Amino acid sequence: MSAAAQPPLGVSGATRRRGLPWRRRHPIAHMAIVRLALGVVTLFAVSVLIFLATQALPGNAAYAVLGHSATPQRLHALEAQLHLNESLVAQYGHWIGGVLRGDFGTSLANGESVSALIGPRIVNSAVLVFLAGIIGSLLATAMGLIAAARRDGWFDHVSSVGALTVTAMPEFVVGIAVVIIFAINVFHLFPAVSVIPPGTSPLSNVSLLVLPVLTLSVVIAPYIFRMMRAAMIEALESDYVEMAELKGLSRRRILLVHALPNALPPVIQVIGLNLLYLAGGIVVVEYIFNYPGLGAALVAAVSDRDIPTIQFLVLMLAAFYVAVNIVTDMLALWASPRRRAAR
Amino acid sequence: MSLITRRSLLANAARGGLALGAGGLIAACGSSSSSSSSSSSGASSSAAAAAGTPKHGGTLRAGLTGGSSSDTLDPNAPVNNTDYARVANLYEGLVWMNAAGQPYFRLAEEMTPNKDATVWTIRLRPGVTFHNGKDVTADDLIFSINRVVNPKSPGEAANILHGIDAAGMKKLDNRTISVPFTKPYSTLVESLAQNITVYVIPVGFDPKNPVGTGPFKYVSFTPGQQSVFARNENYWNAPLPYIDQLVMTDYADETSQVNALLGGQVDVVNLLSQDTIGTVTGSGKKVVISDGGGWNPFTMRVDQPPFTDVRVRQAFRLACDRQAMLNTVFGGHGTIGNDVFGIWSTEYDHAIPQRPHDPEQARALLKQAGHEGLTIELVTADIAQGVINMAQVYAQQAAAAGINVKLRQITVTEFYGPNYLKWVFAQDYWYYSPYLPQVQQATLPVSPFNECHFDNPRYNSLYSQALATLDEAKRVEIAHEMQMIDYDQGGYIIPFFPPVIDGYAPHVHGIVQSKVGSSFNDWDFQHMWIA
Repeated sequence: MSAAAQPPLGVSGATRRRGLPWRRRHPIAHMAIVRLALGVVTLFAVSVLIFLATQALPGNAAYAVLGHSATPQRLHALEAQLHLNESLVAQYGHWIGGVLRGDFGTSLANGESVSALIGPRIVNSAVLVFLAGIIGSLLATAMGLIAAARRDGWFDHVSSVGALTVTAMPEFVVGIAVVIIFAINVFHLFPAVSVIPPGTSPLSNVSLLVLPVLTLSVVIAPYIFRMMRAAMIEALESDYVEMAELKGLSRRRILLVHALPNALPPVIQVIGLNLLYLAGGIVVVEYIFNYPGLGAALVAAVSDRDIPTIQFLVLMLAAFYVAVNIVTDMLALWASPRRRAAR
Repeated sequence: MSLITRRSLLANAARGGLALGAGGLIAACGSSSSSSSSSSSGASSSAAAAAGTPKHGGTLRAGLTGGSSSDTLDPNAPVNNTDYARVANLYEGLVWMNAAGQPYFRLAEEMTPNKDATVWTIRLRPGVTFHNGKDVTADDLIFSINRVVNPKSPGEAANILHGIDAAGMKKLDNRTISVPFTKPYSTLVESLAQNITVYVIPVGFDPKNPVGTGPFKYVSFTPGQQSVFARNENYWNAPLPYIDQLVMTDYADETSQVNALLGGQVDVVNLLSQDTIGTVTGSGKKVVISDGGGWNPFTMRVDQPPFTDVRVRQAFRLACDRQAMLNTVFGGHGTIGNDVFGIWSTEYDHAIPQRPHDPEQARALLKQAGHEGLTIELVTADIAQGVINMAQVYAQQAAAAGINVKLRQITVTEFYGPNYLKWVFAQDYWYYSPYLPQVQQATLPVSPFNECHFDNPRYNSLYSQALATLDEAKRVEIAHEMQMIDYDQGGYIIPFFPPVIDGYAPHVHGIVQSKVGSSFNDWDFQHMWIA
């Protein structure tokens, strides 16, 4: 390390005129700002790409709306109404202009305001994703901790095999199994479908959320569990833990105060990845439970070639991806002071 | 008019796999009596017929597939199944179809043609009010018709009123109008007796606040999700309806729809596949299986090779083993077809000999036509229950006649996109229409949905004659001759008329079997009650 080139951390500007640059003193904030700026550029690029991709599909919204009953007359009338005969640049410009004013346009399929119709569905999905993310992560992290602490014990073996089995099952199998066990065949504890009536909040009817959240939690838990277990085992085998044991510290203190914080950064990354997976993969669960979320809305919008709705949903998803990535990296950086210092 | 314009399962191969795979899993776990379907349908229909006196009250929750974000309440623009369900309950037409597939007067009291069928006089039933309390008058009827035929934005039913002289409509008195046509139109009553028709709406109708005369009135509507209707207290056909509230929820998938029925979260579900009959009946729910008159044809474009040669068309028809296909795709429920549509019409000719399954003859015809061992692409999509399965079965059966069928499966949106009506060999689906109205939609050069591009001069002239003939017996004769042309030279392969399978919970009564070819006797929720 070329010590001569840079002043040691913490020494106030003795050898430089203005001291450490701002980005060194606030590494997390600096990273967040840079990533936010890049995120905005990403969103813009995504919107253009998706717009072009939708145009490449055969047919357009007028065909999709009229379906089987499209006659040339009605098609022309509807295309004119929906501005589908304007140039691509004009259509995109029209849309982006609205977005910059906060107006996401009206759906080509039904003429309602996109944000009014789809906004609640995004909220519905967000509730599922966060509930499943939190519950699944907490449960899996705790299980990983215990499995690592009692390595090769019965709990470790049972949970490892269980995690492997669940990983092998596709999401819809888990979902159907959950419905069969808890709703229809074995027990009749919860509703078999989770139709949130339009205009009501998903949290006002918690029994409808139980089975979808259970399905999603079960789906993401194995990855978090395995990462936590592996990271904990590595932490428990390190020198400083050996030192702490020799010093005579209690097992619990070693686990929670010394090993756990060091195991967290990779687990945070995995949790972040799983949240992103949930956002994209939620569509299967939404179909099984007929849950009015964004996954089903996006599939329907693509099928309908409903460009404003597709753009809105894709932008929201992309923004979610960017945000989760930023937050995950910030948390991981915060959880490992060594990396912060090295920047 | 039998345009089947619902979209059933949205086209998505992964979801199709999900539904089939998951459905199989549920079927395996659910029932032990999968072969008792025919007895259970008989039992359920007689039980429904024998149910006690109707009771008022309750909420009927319907879980319906076929909906999408383009759901609408506009009576001039129903496209998918849930649209028809909404429109059939909020509004009413002049004529409607009963469970036997025969037209009857609903809002019209009388419809009389003049002696050459160019002017119709329509008198409305008295004592009908809209949901907002206003009386229904002749002005409303004129407004409703004008809204349908508006050239700037024609409605679904515009081509049924082909030839109308809308500007010449006259109000004769408060309940009566006269409607002139530029050409004779003897079959107007039959043509209007479908779910694509003129629904009577008030002058100044606003789709955002829909008002009709139907048994239910609008409470709320969210496209792609749910609509809620309440009982119309002043419905002219009292004591109907029986239920207080009707909630229709869109389901994207048969699996979740069936789960909802089994879990008790919905009371009725539409358009089940035959695989789920066992699951549903095995869990204590019921199924009604109707011999609908809807039809899912294979369409051959008669103006494109190889189908320009009538021998090739006949060969393709002979190559189809109809009973085997019906057994495979619909478990044997439904009615075998003879390549002629309109099976429940009075003018349908049941005397035409049933086309046999004869792959040898098919081979011989193809050889004569010089198309031995031909290869052809069949375009299919998930446009209706069972359509893709039918294509797969046909491809296998055709091999025995030396026809090599290559399946090309595409999405529903692409199917009904710019290439619709241009596919050389494809499929389609239709609801039931009486024969002559169906001809107007499908087999004339002016037909809006002439998938086969059929244009037979003798046939066209017979149709014009039929429309000018008010004598029903003579019309039936003409129709029979037209049907022989369909049978010998047409471009459709109509292997059967598929069943309509709906599911319901045992506490729902008033459900009957119906020939109309759409669920629940054309969404006849007004006759249902909960006990």
